[in-house]
Amino acid sequence: MRTKCHKIEHRISDYIDGTLSERQTVAVASHIRSCQSCQREVADLKKTQHLLKNFYVEPDASDAYYAEFTAKLQHRIEQSAPTALHQRFAAAAMRLGWQLGTQIHRYTDHFRPSRFISIRRHALPYYVLALATTLLIAALFLLTQVSLYDNGKHVRFPSAALQPAVTLSIQQDKTTVQPVGIRRNINSERTTETPSVDSGSDVWKFTDEPMIDGYIFAKLRKEGSDAVPSIALGIDSELLAYAEFPAQGAIWARLTSRDVLTEDRYALLLLRGINTGQHARQQYERKRSESKGFSQISEKLLDVPLEMLSVAAVYDPIKL
Amino acid sequence: MDRTEALLIADLCEGDETALAPLVERYKRMVYRLAVQITKNHADADDVMQETFIKVYRSIHTFRRDAAFETWLYRITVNEALNFVKRRERQRESTIETTPEGEYEVSTRYRAQLASDPHTHAEKAELRQYVTEAVNSLPLKHRTVVILHEFEGLTHAEIASILNCSEGTVRSRLHYARKKLRTLLKPYMEASAI
Repeated sequence: MRTKCHKIEHRISDYIDGTLSERQTVAVASHIRSCQSCQREVADLKKTQHLLKNFYVEPDASDAYYAEFTAKLQHRIEQSAPTALHQRFAAAAMRLGWQLGTQIHRYTDHFRPSRFISIRRHALPYYVLALATTLLIAALFLLTQVSLYDNGKHVRFPSAALQPAVTLSIQQDKTTVQPVGIRRNINSERTTETPSVDSGSDVWKFTDEPMIDGYIFAKLRKEGSDAVPSIALGIDSELLAYAEFPAQGAIWARLTSRDVLTEDRYALLLLRGINTGQHARQQYERKRSESKGFSQISEKLLDVPLEMLSVAAVYDPIKL
Repeated sequence: MDRTEALLIADLCEGDETALAPLVERYKRMVYRLAVQITKNHADADDVMQETFIKVYRSIHTFRRDAAFETWLYRITVNEALNFVKRRERQRESTIETTPEGEYEVSTRYRAQLASDPHTHAEKAELRQYVTEAVNSLPLKHRTVVILHEFEGLTHAEIASILNCSEGTVRSRLHYARKKLRTLLKPYMEASAI
């Protein structure tokens, strides 16, 4: 009997409300008839409900309060209404954005074009102004980003923002200076010449390795240790090696938008993975053997984006 | 001219601010009642009421007209009031120790009087006060459900929609709230045998 009561207990409230299905109502009623404890429970709950319905005092306020409230609300609405031109403009822009989003949502929900247009008549000039300004800003932005198309194949980007923040000069055996760009976050204030990675308590540095075929394969090392840093083994510790070269010949055809670095300099992704010296060299050799266009590369640089070692972001050379 | 509710809402959507006043007039008592029951305080209810109508004014264009305006207004009011109470509780916690939510706060004076002479409490005025105190002593979540169901007459589904929870949760809260109320009101039930 106790088990049955336990099962019924949670339904008694619904039973009183009459929100049970017919089958459940019959089952609960049948049990209640045979169980004094549940009968008392039902009776008590009904009495409780009776008390609530008949003796609970619903709060209300005086008419004077409501009159005062209405006046106060009206005043607040008037106060909160934007008065300055830029405030009105901002408010209209926000309303427009919100309204457009809502209306598009409704439109896609119900496919009712009549719902699509519902804007405040008195604010129409501001909506138009907001829309025009938004379009103008978007157009200006696009103009600064996309200057021209080259044969309709490749998009060129302005070079000013893409200059390496730090450039190391490596003295070669033949006394020629080969610039090596260590690409840093251009927003970073750091100016250390030897790039390093701070992984908590340890500081890992890139070692300068001998240049092979114009490439440098940097190695991350902790001072006095040959261990690979744990941060470099993580999923967000990816090194990318790029070769930069003037676009020409067969290489051009293999470039993608990811390979465009500057207006006249391009990079081909060579390595993607943890650069641990020997492994990187092997990858490079394999890549080189597979890529016939490599022979046409006139200038080669190794580019190690440090951001990849500390943030789980997709490396996009265009944005650097 | 008496405008219908749908017309008022349409006008308000189109920026006619004069449409707000009739809506306020129509629903002010409902909003106040709900706000004061949840916040248990006139001053707080006044704030909630203002925020509610300001939100109605600013967000009327988000109201889906295929739904009932009253339910939408209930949702705004309840959420404003609940947020208000939560903010207030946080502020209190940072300053003074308070009785934790869920503790019953029905005055001991009433309990003592009930035990000594229940017939005295048959006086309706005092009974009303006792029942009201019992409801007010419920934890916030339970009290809200009781108010919406028992006094506002909303269905489980409507309450679930307003509180953004499942109907099962509403049923469960209502069940436990009633049990607590039964316990609180038991002395009176036994004494007066309604």
